[in-house]
Amino acid sequence: MSRLLRALLLGLAACATANEAAAQEESGPIEFFEKKIRPLLATNCYNCHSAFNNSMGGLRVDDRHGLLTGGNRGPAIVPGQPEKSRLIAAVRHPEQGLKMPPNKKLTDAEIADLEKWIADGAPWPEVKLPESIGSRAAEYEQLKKTHWSWQPLSAVAIPAVQQVDWPRSDIDKFVLQKLEAANLQPVTDAKPLALIRRVTFDLTGLPPSPEEIDEFVEDEAPNALEKLVDRLLASKSFGERWGRHWLDVARFGESTGSARNLPYPHAWRYRDWVIDAVNNDKPYHQFLREQIAGDLLPANSPREKANQLIATGFLAIGVKDVNQRFKVRYIMDNVDEQIDVVTRGILGLSASCARCHDHKFDPIPTHDYYALAGIFRSTDLCAGLRNKMGGGGLDYYDSELLIPLSDSAVDTDADADAKIAKLQEELKVAVAEFQALRNSPEGDVKTADGRPKRMVARLKTEKIRADINALNDPAARGPVAMGVRDAVAVADTEIRVRGEAEKLGPVVPRGFLSVLTLPDQSAVNKKQSGRLELADWLTHPQNPLTSRVIVNRIWQHLLGRGIVGSVDNFGVTGDVPTHPELLDYLAARFIREGWSIKKLVREIVLSRTYALSSAETPAHRTADPGNRLLWRHTPRRLDAEEIRDAILATGGTLDRARPTGSPIQKYPVIELRNNGPQARSIANQAQSSRHRSVYLPLLRTLTPRALDVFDPAEQGFVSGSRDTTTVAPQALYLLNDPFILEQAHKLADRVLQRQDLDEHHRVVWAYRLALGRTPATPEVSRALTYLNETVGAQRQLLAAAEPGASAKPAATVAANSTDETAQGTTANAPTGNGTTGATPAPPPATPTGGAATAAPRPAPARPAPTVPVNPDDPVPEDDAPVEKSHQPTDPRVAAWVSFCQALLGSAEFRYLR
Amino acid sequence: MTLVTSTNESPVSRRQVLKSAGAGFGYLALAGLLGQQSARAQQAGAVNQPSPVQPKPPHFPAKAKRIIFLFMEGAMSQMDTFEYKARLQAEDGKPGPGGGTLVASKFQFAQHGQTGSWVSELYPNVARHVDKFCFLRGLHTDTPAHPQAVIQLHTGTALAQLTRPSMGAWLLYGLGTENQDLPGYITINPPANFGGTVNYGSAFLPAYYQGTKIGDRGQLPNLAASQPAQLQRRQIDLIQAMNRDLAAKPGAPEQLEGVIQSYELAFRMQSKVPDLLDISKEPQAVQEAYGVKPGPAGSFARQCLMARRLTEAGVRFVEVCQNGWDHHNNLHNGLIANAKATDQPIAALLNDLDQRGLLDETLVLFGSEFGRMPTAQGADGRDHNITGYPMILAGAGVKPGFSYGATDEYGLHAVEGRMHTNDLHATLLALLGLDHEQLTYRYGGRDFRLTDVAGRVVQEIFS
Repeated sequence: MSRLLRALLLGLAACATANEAAAQEESGPIEFFEKKIRPLLATNCYNCHSAFNNSMGGLRVDDRHGLLTGGNRGPAIVPGQPEKSRLIAAVRHPEQGLKMPPNKKLTDAEIADLEKWIADGAPWPEVKLPESIGSRAAEYEQLKKTHWSWQPLSAVAIPAVQQVDWPRSDIDKFVLQKLEAANLQPVTDAKPLALIRRVTFDLTGLPPSPEEIDEFVEDEAPNALEKLVDRLLASKSFGERWGRHWLDVARFGESTGSARNLPYPHAWRYRDWVIDAVNNDKPYHQFLREQIAGDLLPANSPREKANQLIATGFLAIGVKDVNQRFKVRYIMDNVDEQIDVVTRGILGLSASCARCHDHKFDPIPTHDYYALAGIFRSTDLCAGLRNKMGGGGLDYYDSELLIPLSDSAVDTDADADAKIAKLQEELKVAVAEFQALRNSPEGDVKTADGRPKRMVARLKTEKIRADINALNDPAARGPVAMGVRDAVAVADTEIRVRGEAEKLGPVVPRGFLSVLTLPDQSAVNKKQSGRLELADWLTHPQNPLTSRVIVNRIWQHLLGRGIVGSVDNFGVTGDVPTHPELLDYLAARFIREGWSIKKLVREIVLSRTYALSSAETPAHRTADPGNRLLWRHTPRRLDAEEIRDAILATGGTLDRARPTGSPIQKYPVIELRNNGPQARSIANQAQSSRHRSVYLPLLRTLTPRALDVFDPAEQGFVSGSRDTTTVAPQALYLLNDPFILEQAHKLADRVLQRQDLDEHHRVVWAYRLALGRTPATPEVSRALTYLNETVGAQRQLLAAAEPGASAKPAATVAANSTDETAQGTTANAPTGNGTTGATPAPPPATPTGGAATAAPRPAPARPAPTVPVNPDDPVPEDDAPVEKSHQPTDPRVAAWVSFCQALLGSAEFRYLR
Repeated sequence: MTLVTSTNESPVSRRQVLKSAGAGFGYLALAGLLGQQSARAQQAGAVNQPSPVQPKPPHFPAKAKRIIFLFMEGAMSQMDTFEYKARLQAEDGKPGPGGGTLVASKFQFAQHGQTGSWVSELYPNVARHVDKFCFLRGLHTDTPAHPQAVIQLHTGTALAQLTRPSMGAWLLYGLGTENQDLPGYITINPPANFGGTVNYGSAFLPAYYQGTKIGDRGQLPNLAASQPAQLQRRQIDLIQAMNRDLAAKPGAPEQLEGVIQSYELAFRMQSKVPDLLDISKEPQAVQEAYGVKPGPAGSFARQCLMARRLTEAGVRFVEVCQNGWDHHNNLHNGLIANAKATDQPIAALLNDLDQRGLLDETLVLFGSEFGRMPTAQGADGRDHNITGYPMILAGAGVKPGFSYGATDEYGLHAVEGRMHTNDLHATLLALLGLDHEQLTYRYGGRDFRLTDVAGRVVQEIFS
């Protein structure tokens, strides 16, 4: 036995003594189990209740944990108490109630054996830990001492530099020192025009308006940049951009994803909480504490408590596989997901690798993983969901697993209670009817409307369940949140051998990662889950990872690359910091300044390093092509959200108000199939929204199209950095998407409305609106020539189209009659291959002006249908989304729309220098 | 051997080229439109350079023109599919040579074809094609974790410090692509994790060598042109003129060349791609042969049929993906489900390529980022194995009915004909006519290769 394992077992002594002693004494009972009970279960029960065959009712009896957890009806056995064990009740074949096995009663002797086994405590042979567990102890000890990231923050001195005039702040000294050491000069400073565009996008995700640009460029005060930065930090747009950065880390999504994609109707509350917290500059340690343990923190008001509860949504909004047969696996998978988001998101460590084996690279033993798992195992995950294999309709919805946000929601309606009681009775009858039809040929008999009786019976049970849920549902009675709360039973949990949820090894006391053992860290409160102490440990001022990781994330968002390139991985396989001293300086300063994100952002953007131009020389590129040493400001493409928001802002149509909630919130918790009417409706609502992109509905796997082509955050897991691809589908989007055509039209209208300007100055105004700069003379000439020639070409086309009487609006086509938003929108005319090649089709013509370009507003008056779908129906193929045509008929307007679209499509529009 | 790919062009000179390169045929229209007003445009008029993804001659005669990669993400268990080990089957439950408990495959194996190659009952349809196969049985790789191994399989290295270009990007860089109206590199249904876009990215190669991602129902939105072609061409020319202006400015973004190419390709794709991705255009019999159906169960069949259509149209590198092979548990049922999803489509693809004469020009690569252990993991699982696992080649350039390399009697370690991922890449490039040591790109003062500083061409498998 390895040293670590021995130590581990000694450490466990307090909890495990009883078990171990029992295990030794029980060679008799174990033998009894192997001789009598296991064969009995295998012969009579495995066909319907085991891992490899089936798990009817969610129950499996081929492992002890399965019996203890039980199925849909609750635990199957209560060790020591045969009379309280459902298994015993069922095998006795009572007059009323469940009879198991259904077609054959066990003999009295067999039943007696089962009773005896349960009375003896239901002993089961213990699963041995593989020898590999704990075998890396020595290697781990070495790694703990040597790897940079988990060493304490070092006290760094501000470095001395040769060019003393260059630095504007301490940050600059750290950067310049490295540059001087490499014999590289920083390039020139950015021009004010580039700087205001850069800093406005970086801080708010929006372009500066022409007026804001003028004000800054003309402001010769030495503190002009400070004034600008302070204004941006104070704007609510700051939280909308920087909150989105955190949502990337928090793998925010508004549905389960995975095999059955169910909506999260309340996830938006967490999204709004994040944005508000960032805008209020909630200190980062407090920000984290509320997300990990908001339910356990003191609150000064019901409102504060409600916000703290919403914050715990962080632990609830991840991907879930509700179509999981075994409850224990569902639970342990969710625990794993929580461990991953906490450790990777906050600490930059991939602790979830230690679920099945000791971490292969970092000193994270499986023991530590299950110490954390115990904390989350003692926590109820309130996502409003439960697992079920092959469920449909509202099967997955569990309204008890939601967090009511106000006491008013609790006042029970006596009338409702009576209705519920009545429905419960009806449900019993309906379930019995369905059970009777379930496996009998009678179930296949068709009813009058052609549906099998079995299906009709099942739908009836679903309907009654839905009605009961609706009456019981706290979400129907008042505001609720997704989040977590301490479980009724809190306990340490067992190591799961090789990560298999049912294979229980020794119990591990709840705790944290031993790689970060901090002075005076709080021990887990045995009466609670331990999340409060976990939050203490994560935000302990001497926890070196929490501050380094967030500071590095912030640096990345402003300088293009983290000081540690692998922002989510500070482990052995991650990158090493390019400027380790700077990282520690920033981390220490961050803590000293009260964990203020705004202060840190301010400090960085006021540095000279940040304000460098993006110019380059061959010498620089050869010496350091990746700009690791920060000799310039790396240009960047705007993020998906910024591109869409900038297009709306340029078109003058951006709605800066926060929408109430999310389009998702009105959907019942029923599977959203990729191309079902509900998913299509949500996609259409996203397409027609004019709110900032952070507020678009974010169903997993159904990313709004405006974001999808420009590399949005992967919603499945922590993603601290985004990709930047450059591919033809982006050009196709900018050339053809109805949203772009509409916004180009809006921009054209905006420019053409300027009656006070001549055509030349309208071009200038369009450039200023779209690109934030005045065009050079050749650019204006080029634009005017383009406009003239395009007017001519448009006129010819329209003339050619005239005799064909195609000046009518394109026909109204509903893509699908069940679509909730189809009404009143027109379809984009091109069909089939859409080619225009040698025989150009006339453009689909619609009247120009307000009517043609008014955004289609969804008006879903009626609630989404609650009729259950059969989950095994094939998923329908893609239907073309409902689109509008935005082709103007006036040649001059058409030419301007085309020109404005070119501005929106130019690389300059979406790249920052 | 002629050196056709530039090994020493610096990024600065690339940009200088770009300023004058124009964008293929679009330039002429632009020049006319602007009446030669812009000095820069005049300069551009002097050099009407071809697209950077024009076909380029290989270093030496190519044996294959294109690759289809059937990627089994998550590591397919070779012990239960294509690696029959009599000793493993006989020693079920005994201790394994490297520890653990050996577990025989629960699936029946049989010998197939003239070559008598062993295939398990999981692949009855694929088994009919064994005589076309060139098995590589001695592969090994560096990291027993999916993210690193998937990235290494696709880019040659899993070093976190510097992301490398994917193999499809290297192929495009080396060879260009036959059909200028289509992306030269298409990946269908790629995994979002394990590196995500890194696996079809171009890293420091110019962005126009990136793979284009398509959904498993052929989703590629916005292919329908929003206006008549002449008008759109005019508009694109204006956009490109603006883009070239930006390229001339200091500190222009590196991806600008990629942006310019993306517009040219997008313009051409509009007329070709919608038909190409519409597999409903295939005769019913063909769709049935692949097993095309809606929903997740038909995903791989649809991907394979799209892959054939794209290959036929001249796409240089097509990758399709079946995920979910990571059977640490649920091995038995998981294998049955995944084999069911892939067996018929792969067999149909091979048949279809063969009948159309495409298999003479197309190399099919079938396999995972690594293999699985001959020993048990839990009651119904197998852990990762990086020390010996197979991949299968078929088609252009490789010996049919051939097997290269071997693992030990249990299938644990590669003992003969060992091939590292770098060797696989060197060999694939050689089959496409590229010398992996010459296919270099200078970045940050050094030449980079797909094979880094290693790689052996395994000529033994060449037909």
